[in-house]
Amino acid sequence: MFSYVYGVLSRFFSAPADLIVTLIVMLLVPLTLVAIIPVIIGWVDRKYGARIQSRWGPTYVGPFGILQNVADVIKLIGKRVITTNVDRLSYSFVPIALTAASFLIVVLIPWGAPGLYILDIPYNLLFIYVLMAVSPLLILLAGWSENNKYSIIGGFRGATQIATYELTLIITILSVAMLSGSYNISDIVASQKHLWYVVYLPITFLMFVVAGYAVIERDPFDIPEATQELLAGWKIEYSGLRYGMFLLSDYIKMFALSMLTVYLFFGGWNGPLLPAFAWFWIKTIIAMMILLTPRWVYPRLRIDQLVKFGWNWMLPLSILNLLVVGAVLLV
Amino acid sequence: MENRKGVILNIGPVHPATHGVLRLIADLEGDTIENIKVDIGFLHRGKEKLAEMRYFSNYYPIVDKLDYVSALQMEILFGSVVEKAAGITLPPRAVYIRMIMAEIQRIMSHLVFIGSFGMDVGNYTGFIWAFREREELMTIVESVSGGRLAPMYICNGGTFYDLPENFNQALTPVLDDIEKKINKDYRALFNDNNIFVMRTKGVGVINKSTVIENGITGPNMRAAGIKRDLRRDEPYLAYESMDFEIPTEESGDSYSRFIIRIKEIIESIKIIRQALKNIPTGPYKTSVPWLLKIPEKQTFVRQEVSKGEMAMYMVTNGGLTPYRLKIRSPTFFSLKMLEKILKGSKIADIVAVVASLDPVMGEVDR
Repeated sequence: MFSYVYGVLSRFFSAPADLIVTLIVMLLVPLTLVAIIPVIIGWVDRKYGARIQSRWGPTYVGPFGILQNVADVIKLIGKRVITTNVDRLSYSFVPIALTAASFLIVVLIPWGAPGLYILDIPYNLLFIYVLMAVSPLLILLAGWSENNKYSIIGGFRGATQIATYELTLIITILSVAMLSGSYNISDIVASQKHLWYVVYLPITFLMFVVAGYAVIERDPFDIPEATQELLAGWKIEYSGLRYGMFLLSDYIKMFALSMLTVYLFFGGWNGPLLPAFAWFWIKTIIAMMILLTPRWVYPRLRIDQLVKFGWNWMLPLSILNLLVVGAVLLV
Repeated sequence: MENRKGVILNIGPVHPATHGVLRLIADLEGDTIENIKVDIGFLHRGKEKLAEMRYFSNYYPIVDKLDYVSALQMEILFGSVVEKAAGITLPPRAVYIRMIMAEIQRIMSHLVFIGSFGMDVGNYTGFIWAFREREELMTIVESVSGGRLAPMYICNGGTFYDLPENFNQALTPVLDDIEKKINKDYRALFNDNNIFVMRTKGVGVINKSTVIENGITGPNMRAAGIKRDLRRDEPYLAYESMDFEIPTEESGDSYSRFIIRIKEIIESIKIIRQALKNIPTGPYKTSVPWLLKIPEKQTFVRQEVSKGEMAMYMVTNGGLTPYRLKIRSPTFFSLKMLEKILKGSKIADIVAVVASLDPVMGEVDR
């Protein structure tokens, strides 16, 4: 994508300026995406959840309340942050780090057509995984920095949960990578030209979704921020723009998870008749709607149940799965 | 404070999951509770003392706010005490109206329980659904009495107003709707939901002997397998001629306490249907003077309200006001159990178990 934009822009600008303009444009694109995606997904999530609960959801701001999240973000920006006894440095660092991680996810992930990258690197699947699972330390840091009992309990819960499930997540990703022979999402999609991996690896797919859910802390695995018993867990002292950053990174991760589900298991942009771009977005939207549902249907698990499930079932199963894939590949 | 490794976590009195102003002081070791203390009294308004300064007819609005989730049952209870003391007999229509309203209130209270229990284990949808169904009944109560949460419908000698004209036509579809939703939607959302069952089964077990020792009553008792219901054992109003069952469960955990309430809603619907069929015509109240004088007497009345056995013990000395009114509140006895049953469980269980006991602090603190 960089070379394409550069090619277009170099017609309008002379030699040194065109590179700079291209760089600025290439930075603005992910920034815009980072700003817009949470607003749209947040709206879909709220509206969808509201219909499940026989409510209407946001209706006032914009047509069908589509600008409600914009209004919310503006409110968050205008909020005065009141804190007592927080560790300033780590308190401010965590939201920035999480936002930077979600920004990098947007930069690295392909956007639904072959070659439609903002930045193409050969190991992008691995990188996206790392960025999604970067948080145990950050959550612990946030929980500690807020100097609050609820937040430190939430921080420890978050660290435990993610440490348990990111192992499963990487092993399931590994079995997909072994099958396709590459860590590059484009190659993985290309190798699913004839048959989707969900046919080969149905259990891996389920494990990927569950582990992914646990890693991005979406309900019903939002144990670290358990609204009922821990109020907001490790986010308890955050408000204003910093809290907005958490929401933003949550939704970006949610979106990245549904995109990865399509890329890894449902053939990405492969499909007959329709153009690649259309296929990808149809699949992603369906995947996202399905992934948004459990939040509104399931209660929250308890931390010991979740961790037990992770170590007793998910991890052994994923390792077994990896061995089976390896054995099949050898034969 | 002695030397210790863990953390003391203060939950409440202002906490979204404590059903008002319950305060719990948990002694934590990691995520596990080593010890827990229940601190009540944040909603103490001196209701028993207030009764001594009110005429018998003027205490109803205060009694409304005892258990504000089932206000009509509180009114009926106080009405029964006064009428028993003063020797007033109700006209048969008033008895039936009171019974219908009591059962409507029971369904409403149990719906609040289902909603808040669902929310406290992390399912927000259950909360909204239960309140959606409750809203329909609220509308009925509003059309009958003019009030919603605190209806002020019962008065000495009957009720303030007769039932509205199309009461039957308005109530029947609502009951059908609730029965259908309980059997289908709620079953899918709660009973057949694996995570919900995982979170509630085997959590907060109160066994039979503990129930008897501690005077726990109502659904919390029936969940432990004791078949006792004042509507059946000491029939009041017109419950004697009604055909209904008393559901019981064996295990005594949070899940069975939930199931009991679901089943009781169905039974209440049954009772209301029968009552609507058999409701006699005639006056809806006997005329009773506003300023009653009750001779020197001690009166005790207990009734099965939605939380359990609620009782009022009234001492009169021939004046215009009670000399003393003692209120026995059912959930006060269940809350005491928290210290025992929460030991060794996780933080997340605190919320689930508190919700499963269905406390209303207005009634606990009085």
